[in-house]
Amino acid sequence: MTLGAVEWLAPSTLREAIAVRAERGEEATVVAGGTFVGILINQGLLSPSALLSLGDVAELRGIEVAGGELRLGAGVTHRTVERDPSVRAGWPMLARAFAVVASPRVRNQATVGGVLADADYASDPPAALQALGARAVLRSPDGERAVPVEELILGWYETCIRPDELLVEVRVPPSPARAVYRKFRSRSSEDRPCVAVAAARDEGRLRVVVGAVAGRPQEFADVCAIAGGREIDAALAAEIARGYADRLEPIADARGSADYRRRVAAVEVRRALEELAA
Amino acid sequence: MTAAIGVDARVTGAARYSVDVERPGMLHAAFVRSPYAHARVRSVDVSAVPGGCVALAPADVADLGRYGCQARDQRVLADVARYAGDVVAAVAAPTRAEARAAAGLVAVEYEELPAVFDAVAALAPDAVLLHPEAAASAEEEVSIGVRPVPGTNVCHRFRLVSGDVAAGLAEADVVVEETFRTPSAAHVPMEPHAALAEWDDGRLTVWAGTQTPFNTRADLAGLFGLDPERVRVVAPPMGGSFGAKTFVRTEAVVAALARRAGRPVKVVLDRAEEFVTLNRHPATIRVRVGARSDGTLVAKEVDCWVDTGAYADCGPGVATKLGYAGVGPYRIPHVRVEARAIYTNLPPNGAYRGYGAMQSVWASERTMDVLAGRLGMSPLDLRRRNLLRDGDRFATGEVMHDVRFDECLQAAADAVGYEADPRGKGLCVLLKGMQTPSRAAIAVERTPVGYVVRSASCEMGQGVRRSIQLMAAGLLGCEPGQVELPDPDTDVSPFDTRTTSSRSTHMMGRALAEAVADLRSNGGERGFGEVRDGGGLDPDTGQGIASTHWHQGAAGARVSVDEETGRVTVEHLHGVAYAGRVVDRAGAELQNEGSLTMGLGTALFEAIDFSDGMVGNSNLSDYNVPALGDLPGRFTHELIEREGAEVHGLGETVLPPVPAAIGNALHSLGLHLRDLPMTPERVLAAVDARDGRAGGNGRGGRDGRDGRDSGAGRA
Repeated sequence: MTLGAVEWLAPSTLREAIAVRAERGEEATVVAGGTFVGILINQGLLSPSALLSLGDVAELRGIEVAGGELRLGAGVTHRTVERDPSVRAGWPMLARAFAVVASPRVRNQATVGGVLADADYASDPPAALQALGARAVLRSPDGERAVPVEELILGWYETCIRPDELLVEVRVPPSPARAVYRKFRSRSSEDRPCVAVAAARDEGRLRVVVGAVAGRPQEFADVCAIAGGREIDAALAAEIARGYADRLEPIADARGSADYRRRVAAVEVRRALEELAA
Repeated sequence: MTAAIGVDARVTGAARYSVDVERPGMLHAAFVRSPYAHARVRSVDVSAVPGGCVALAPADVADLGRYGCQARDQRVLADVARYAGDVVAAVAAPTRAEARAAAGLVAVEYEELPAVFDAVAALAPDAVLLHPEAAASAEEEVSIGVRPVPGTNVCHRFRLVSGDVAAGLAEADVVVEETFRTPSAAHVPMEPHAALAEWDDGRLTVWAGTQTPFNTRADLAGLFGLDPERVRVVAPPMGGSFGAKTFVRTEAVVAALARRAGRPVKVVLDRAEEFVTLNRHPATIRVRVGARSDGTLVAKEVDCWVDTGAYADCGPGVATKLGYAGVGPYRIPHVRVEARAIYTNLPPNGAYRGYGAMQSVWASERTMDVLAGRLGMSPLDLRRRNLLRDGDRFATGEVMHDVRFDECLQAAADAVGYEADPRGKGLCVLLKGMQTPSRAAIAVERTPVGYVVRSASCEMGQGVRRSIQLMAAGLLGCEPGQVELPDPDTDVSPFDTRTTSSRSTHMMGRALAEAVADLRSNGGERGFGEVRDGGGLDPDTGQGIASTHWHQGAAGARVSVDEETGRVTVEHLHGVAYAGRVVDRAGAELQNEGSLTMGLGTALFEAIDFSDGMVGNSNLSDYNVPALGDLPGRFTHELIEREGAEVHGLGETVLPPVPAAIGNALHSLGLHLRDLPMTPERVLAAVDARDGRAGGNGRGGRDGRDGRDSGAGRA
C-alpha cells in the first residue's frame, strides 16, 4: 500500500455496513459526519489504516414517530433533528439540545449516532437524550439490543458498543410533560458547554442530568427523589441543586476549573428546575 | 462593479490563494517537530524514509547560517529544539499524505534540557538561557536598534525616559500601581501558512502567503548566501493573516528541501501547526501612575515583560511599540518605560493585529479607571483633562499634529450614553504608531485597456488592492476595474517596507499620487512614486520619532453581568477610528467590524492553553474565535473624517481598546479584572472579591492567581 494511504470503506446499504463492521471491527474507524474523527486525525491522535464511512447508508437517515416513540436514524444530522417538525412538536427540548451545538456548519455534518458513539464528555445531546430516557439500538450480524444512554456511555470517550456492533438508531420515548435543556458556555456562543443541565419531569418522576462536567453525563436518582411528588418551588430547586453540587466531582479544562464548574452546576441545576416549574 | 474586483471570486471559490500555488513536478513537505519544549537533538535517523522522498536533518543544513528579521537566532532546522513544535527535520514526498507518513518514520533522539515558560521567571538569575550566545542583530532595512542584554534571556530592552519620574511621583497626590497580564493568542486565519520554493540555475523563487515579501527576500538571501536579486518572492493573496504571515516562517525549510530535492517543494501547514508557528506575545505589565488631586497626571512608569517565545522574530519591535503605547495619548511630564522582549520555551510570538498595543493599552487604560476611582473623578473627565492636543509633545519628544483623541473619546462616550449614566459602561482611548521609518514605492504603467499598478502591498483580505484601485482610478480618471494589480513580486514590484501596521493605504496612497504626477509629466505612459518617512526611536532613551503618522481611536462598552456565574454580556460595543479621509468606505467599515470582533475574543475568551510549553487547544473546537453569535446586541462603530485630512490607517485601530473598554465597564460595577481574557470564572472571582467573600468554591482561577495582584516582577 502507498505510504500514508487510508483505506476508505463506504458501503451503501446497512446490511453491508454491518457486515464490514463485523469483519473489520476496530481496525476500521467508523466515521459518519467526521466532526469528531476529523479533529482526532488532524491532531495526530488517531491514525487509522481504514475508515468505515456510514455517509452513503441512506437507511440510517430516517426519522419516524412510531407508537409515540421517536426513532432517529444514526445518520440523521443535528441540523435535521433541530429543524424536524415532528421533533420540534413532540420533543422540543431535544430539538433545542441539538440546536445549540456549535454552528450550522457543524450541525449539518454531525450525526445523532456519532455524538453518542464518540461519548465526548463535552457534547450537548447525550445529557438531553439521557434525561428523556432514550435508548441506542446496537446491531450486529447476530441481532440487536437497545441500551439506555446511561448504560451506553461508560466514561471518557468509552461506550459499551462491541467491535462487531454499529449504533444504528436512537429511540426516544414520548416526551415527559416538562423538559428543559440549559447550556452554559464560558467562551464563544459556538463553544461546547462548560456545564449543561437536562431536566425532565413526568408524573412525579424527576430526572436531572448534568453534562460536560465529567467523563459521562451525571445523574443522581437519590437526589432527584427528594422531589417526590411535590411541586418544585424555589426551596426545593435550591435543595436539589445543592445536592448535585455536593455529589459532582467535576473535571477541569479550558472551559473552567473544577471548583468553578461545581458552583455553576449548582446555579444551573437550580435554574433548570425553576424553569421546569414555571 | 464590485464583481470586477474579486468579491465574487472569493465567494464563488474562483479566487486563488497562496495555498493554491502549484509548480510542475513539485513535492510536498511535512515537518518533524520536537515534542519537547527544550532539548538538544542528539541524532536524526532518516534511513526509514523511503526512496522517492527527500529528508533533511539539522546536519544537512549546517552550511546555512542563522536567520531572523530582528535578531539572527534561528536555524533552518533546530539542532537545539527551543519549543515544543520546533522543526528538527523535514521531508518532501510526491503527496502530502506520503510526506506526513514519511515524517513519522524519521527517528529523532533528544536530550531534554530545563525549560522556562514565563517571561518574568525567565529573568531569574538561575533561569536557563535559550540563546547563550547573543544573536547578531539582523541588519534589517528598517532597524530598530536591537539591544540584547548579554547573559540573560532578554533579546531586546527598550527604554523611554522623559523628565524625572521619581521626582514626578514624589509630587503626586495619588499614586496607583497595578499589574496586568495578557495571554498568548492565535491569529487563526482561515488559510494556513503556505509556501512553495523552486531553484533554477542557482536562483531561488518562493511563492508564499506573506505580508513581508522584501523582508523575506533579504532574510533568505542572507541565509543561502545569495545576492538579494538572486531571490524572488511572489506573494499571492492570503486568506487572512492578521500578522501571522510576517517574516520567514516556513520559507527557509521549503527552500532547503527544494535545494536538496532539485525539485519545487511546497508546504501547507495544518491547523494544529498554526498554533506553534507564530502567536501573540503574552505580557505582564506593571503601571505606576501619579496624579495631582485635580486629576492632572504628573508621572507614569510602565514596566513590560514581553514573552517573545523561543526566537526573537519581531519581538524587539513589538516590545518597543508596546512600551511607548503604554504611555497612552496623554500629556505626562515625567515618564519612564522599560519594555523587555524575553525568550522563553514557548512557540515564537510575533506581529498580531495591534502589534503590542492591545497589551499595554489594556494595562494603561484599566489603570486610568483605577486612578479615577481613587481620585473620586469620572474616568471620562480624568482622560479629557490629560489628553494630548495639537502641538503637545508626546513622551518621545515628538510634537503631535492632527490630534483627534478628544473627539474619538467623546464619540465613544456619546455612543454608550456614558455621561447620562456611567454604570455598567467603560471607555478606552488609544494611540498607536505606524511602522517608522518606512518606505513605499509604486509604479504605474499605461496599457491599451487602462493601467497596471505594481506595488508590493499584500492582499490578505484587508482590501489593500481595492484601496489602491480606488485611489488610482481617482487620480488617473478611469474606472477601478481598469486598474490591474499583479501580485507582489520582488522581481518587478518596487520596494515596500512591508504590509503591516496599517500603513499601506497611507504610504502607498502618497507614493501613488507621486507616481501619477510623474506619469503625467512624462508623457502619460509610465510613472514612479516613492515616499520615505524617516524617524525611529533611540532604544535607550525612547526619544525620536515613534511614528510619522498616528492611529487614534477609542471604544465604549455597555455590559451586564450574571453575578451568579460571572458571565458577561456585552450589550453594546462601539468603536471609533480617526480615518481622516476615507478611501474605501465599505472596506474601512469592515476593518472596524473585524477589529472589534477580534477585540471581543481577546477580551472575553481567547487564550492558548499551555501546559509545560505544550499547546493544549490547537484545534478550533478547543480554541474559540468569536462567532456571529458573540457579537453584542448593539455593535456599532464610526469613522471620524475631516475635510482635507490625510488618509489614516485603520486596519487595527479599534481592536486594542476593546478589552479595556469592557474591563472598565466591569470596573464601574466594582469588578476589578487584571488578567485577560475576562472569563466568567475570573469575573466571578472579582464578584467574590468585591463582596468580600474570601473562599467559595469558585474562587481562584484554574491558574490559581485570579482576582489578586501577584506582583509579578516586582523584585
